[in-house]
Amino acid sequence: MTLTADPATVEQSTAERTHRVSRRRMRLRPAELVSGIVLLFLLVAAVAPQLLTFYDPLAIQPSDAFRAPSLLHWFGTDESGRDVYTRVIYGARSSLLIGVFATIIGLGLALILGAIAGLGSRPVDFAVNRLLEVLFAFPGLLLALLFITIFGVGVVTSTIAVGLATAPGYARIIRTQIISTRRSGYVEAATILGRSRRAVFGRNILPNVAWPLLALATLGIGQAIVWASALSFLGLGAVPPAAEWGAMLSAGRTYMTNAWWLTFFPGIFVVLSAAAATVLGHSIQRRNREL
Amino acid sequence: MTAVVALPSARRPLTAWRWVATRLAGAVFVLWAVATLTFFSIRLIPGDPAEAILGGPGSRATPEALAQVREQYGFNQPLFVQYLNEIGRLARGDFGTSYALKAPVTTVILEGAGNTLILAAVSLAVAWLIAIGLAVWATRGGRVSRAIATGLEIVSAAVPNFWLATIFILIFSIGLHWLPPVSAPGIPGLVLPVLTLAIPLAGFLGQVMRESLLNALDAPFTLSARARGESETGVTLKHALRHAALPGISLSGWAFGSLISGAVVVETVFARPGLGRSLLNAVLIRDIPVVIGVVMVVALVYIVVTLLTDLADRIADPRLRNP
Amino acid sequence: MARKSLPIAAVAVSALLLLSACASDPSGSASASATPKPGGTLTYATGDDEPPCLDPQNRGNVPQALLASQYLEELFYQDADGNIDPWLAKSYTVAPDGLSVDIVVADNVTFSDGTPLDANAVKVNIERVLDPATQSTTGRLALAKVTGVDVIDPTTARINLSQPDSALLESLSQVWLPIESPTALARPLADNCLSPVGTGPFTVQSWVKQDSVTLVKNPDYTTPPPGAAHTGAAYLDTIVWKFIPDATARFAALQSGQVDVIDTLQPENAVAAQSDPSLAVQIASRPGDPVAIELNSGRAPFNDEKVREAFIDSADVDSALQSVYLGTVERAKSVLSSSTRYSVDNANYSYDPDKANQLLDEAGWTTKNSDGIRTKDGTPLTVVIPIAATVPLAQAVYEQIQATAKTVGFDVQLQPKDTAAWWTQNYNWDYDAIGIYYTKNSADVLRITYDSAGNNAATVGAYHSNNTHLADPTFDSLVEQAAATTDDVTRADLYKQAQQIIVDGYYTLPIYDQQTRLGLRSDVEGFRFLPSLSMPTFYDTWLNR
Repeated sequence: MTLTADPATVEQSTAERTHRVSRRRMRLRPAELVSGIVLLFLLVAAVAPQLLTFYDPLAIQPSDAFRAPSLLHWFGTDESGRDVYTRVIYGARSSLLIGVFATIIGLGLALILGAIAGLGSRPVDFAVNRLLEVLFAFPGLLLALLFITIFGVGVVTSTIAVGLATAPGYARIIRTQIISTRRSGYVEAATILGRSRRAVFGRNILPNVAWPLLALATLGIGQAIVWASALSFLGLGAVPPAAEWGAMLSAGRTYMTNAWWLTFFPGIFVVLSAAAATVLGHSIQRRNREL
Repeated sequence: MTAVVALPSARRPLTAWRWVATRLAGAVFVLWAVATLTFFSIRLIPGDPAEAILGGPGSRATPEALAQVREQYGFNQPLFVQYLNEIGRLARGDFGTSYALKAPVTTVILEGAGNTLILAAVSLAVAWLIAIGLAVWATRGGRVSRAIATGLEIVSAAVPNFWLATIFILIFSIGLHWLPPVSAPGIPGLVLPVLTLAIPLAGFLGQVMRESLLNALDAPFTLSARARGESETGVTLKHALRHAALPGISLSGWAFGSLISGAVVVETVFARPGLGRSLLNAVLIRDIPVVIGVVMVVALVYIVVTLLTDLADRIADPRLRNP
Repeated sequence: MARKSLPIAAVAVSALLLLSACASDPSGSASASATPKPGGTLTYATGDDEPPCLDPQNRGNVPQALLASQYLEELFYQDADGNIDPWLAKSYTVAPDGLSVDIVVADNVTFSDGTPLDANAVKVNIERVLDPATQSTTGRLALAKVTGVDVIDPTTARINLSQPDSALLESLSQVWLPIESPTALARPLADNCLSPVGTGPFTVQSWVKQDSVTLVKNPDYTTPPPGAAHTGAAYLDTIVWKFIPDATARFAALQSGQVDVIDTLQPENAVAAQSDPSLAVQIASRPGDPVAIELNSGRAPFNDEKVREAFIDSADVDSALQSVYLGTVERAKSVLSSSTRYSVDNANYSYDPDKANQLLDEAGWTTKNSDGIRTKDGTPLTVVIPIAATVPLAQAVYEQIQATAKTVGFDVQLQPKDTAAWWTQNYNWDYDAIGIYYTKNSADVLRITYDSAGNNAATVGAYHSNNTHLADPTFDSLVEQAAATTDDVTRADLYKQAQQIIVDGYYTLPIYDQQTRLGLRSDVEGFRFLPSLSMPTFYDTWLNR
């Protein structure tokens, strides 16, 4: 399992402004178009799943168990005869919610820590840095594991757990970002001009940090979905009978030799959504760099 | 990317001795804090540690036996006293005895650490090779190869590793009979676990590397190398890659941590003995000494790896060296 | 005076018809044609937990029993019909008042460390199990009526009882009550956990934690159990007992030949193995309580018998087993596993949602909230079921029961837990229903798991063996009488009445018999189960390759 989005890419987006700007690179690329469509589809699935399927995700039909994909059941049926396509569609909501909220929690914590470190005095920066150090030395999964064993299994706890586990990574990126922005010429100029610290932060630093943050968030959502699925694999994710991709993946895994569709389709959706979010994140980064 | 424990060199140049001293103090601090955090959080978990000692949950222990164990292990003392005792023991290098395995934690860790470290180190190396290969191919090739490489990187970074592991078992063990599905001695047993860990990581490293590789290929120092008449391959390999490796090297410390997390899953699926599996088991059965021991070792390894990557940074980029 | 002295050779054959219908294994024990080839290493991959201790006197669970059956042996052997035969004991005599049993040990038996087997060894072992410091659980519960052991002469030990106990000999044929070398037992508990010493066909050589236990042949083996196909040392040189928790990887390892035998064979893999000529399947039902969903009658809503009956009527277990287990398991029809002597097929519960609706109406759960859940005085009809991987009941079965129960207005809340949290919830009676089983080779298991004493032991935060909170003096007296009589007909009748009380009161929903489910390479010959607990034995096993 991989942790948060890559810190270095984001750092570079503002630190090294590339000089190879061209009109062509501002156009919508095919990959971006595809990701856009995928994300739009997932969004519809999350908001109004009943538009995309007729079945009930929880309705069992034991006599129809383990049907292979067909026109009737596009993605086949599972061990209880439930329609896998329907469950994947309905699963989009919980998976996306986990992804979005875990990222918000992670980034929120990170923003607080990063801002304290990046804007505070040297001792404050030092202290926050040590804290991040400690959190980094903890394997992320353990942090999530401990949190879930303390507060119980469920979607809410696993969302918070993923958020907590990803926060240190984000915090460090944000801190670097703030420091490098603070040292840039225009911020120093603003400070010399006598603007208050708060004004400098609000008008000069925050806007510069916000864009990379958005990119980071988009990259993070995909990773949070992958993370949450790993927790489900360890039996620490969504509560049955909820349709959640990670839970479907791990429940179907034992049937992989006989009923490949049980894991293939939820797996594809995890990969698709994470990949689409990454492409979107990269595209935001690129645009930010070229603006 | 800044050094991790030392203050950023740009702010205040440090002498070698101060650098070492700061590093050492930082390491001790991190270890202490990690132990403290683990101790208190695991004591928050519902469940009786005395139960864990008497054969784990569901052990049907008698109340007398539980009382005896509580007395013997000092669980009836105030939590803070227990904490001080624990830290005191750890400071003396005594990791205690596993509740469940009835063996010294040091033994448990030593049995698992080698396997996990080898797994993580080989995976990191393989991930680097894949990432460099893809990055070079993408920058040297045309638009199509670049698009394919980008796609591969993004997709591989998005694959859940337990799913990848299962697919590998299906294809390479059941389908093709090439590789053993579960842990086996020697290199064949290592291939599938390593690939499972390395592929998603390679996707990440590749994305990071290629950005900076593209930048480096346009940087003045590569231009001057070209002007000196060096071949394009030579330029890519000697100058640009070295520069492009920087963010990747800095990431290796972080990557190592993520590999340990990944090891929990991979060691479970492939039935490999190791720290990840020990850790998961220990948390699930509330084997507190093992949890603290494993976490301390992982933290220590993380500190060492970060130190090494900082040194590597300094070697790769002369600008970071102290005057 | 009931004196029984059994000649060892008299029980050479006990028909091992344990193998269920799906064990259509051509190799198995029907390998009379081929001559066994000694030597070789057999690799066994278990999906059960790694035991914390290799000595089943400490604690006492199924993972330990599977492993210890290869190196430890008991005083008695129970055949497939439930008859007691001698093993490490030569004979036994029950006192007229039933308050003591004299046991004569077999001649010329030595433990694998050279210590001779004598009456004192019996005393040391039984008293050790009773000592709280040994932390025995299953064994100690089975010996609840034993007050102590006297050595009468070098070969005769007298077990003293507080009450007559007809299940004593059955208990003493469980691998949780093995006879170990007193010399080895003198070591600290932790040492004995690493390398227990018995009289079995194999001995423990090494244990690499989280990887494997290596067993080697005991060259001086002299005590084959009744029903064994040969005498002398085992054929195999070595058994490597690997821990492979992941079912997919475990079956893949069997298919690829990396291991020779796997347990906890998943249903879909059993189907695949049957169609593969290089693989064989062996499934045996274990005695005791079957895998069942037991209802907590100690709190609302299941303190109302009508609601219990309604829940059982609303659960479509047959369809769930058929679809999830692909028809590889049969529905349990008794509160005792079918391989338990005196089990009666009287739990003929069937899916009847109309009756369930009617019962709930009668019980006063007449209103429904917007989710279709029944309510009574504003309280929704909620059933909390904690689930953990330790109980072999697929999550999909729970989900189907949840779905069918919802149609009549039950809100079944499935709560996945890790093992420790699951037990904590169990200790605190913090559930309405719970999936559980109990392995014991005697109908006396009813006393352990349904007697009111099984509740009383339940101080808050402690283990209770009764999970239904049944507290019925009539029931208690029936199982008490059954334990006190040795007359077969009387025992059968008393246990029948006891089972009827459980069934009529709707305290438990039996799902399927717990099983030992093995997949084997088809060149593994001469395999069989020890019938007492349906544990595998590899004494007669050899590799035809």
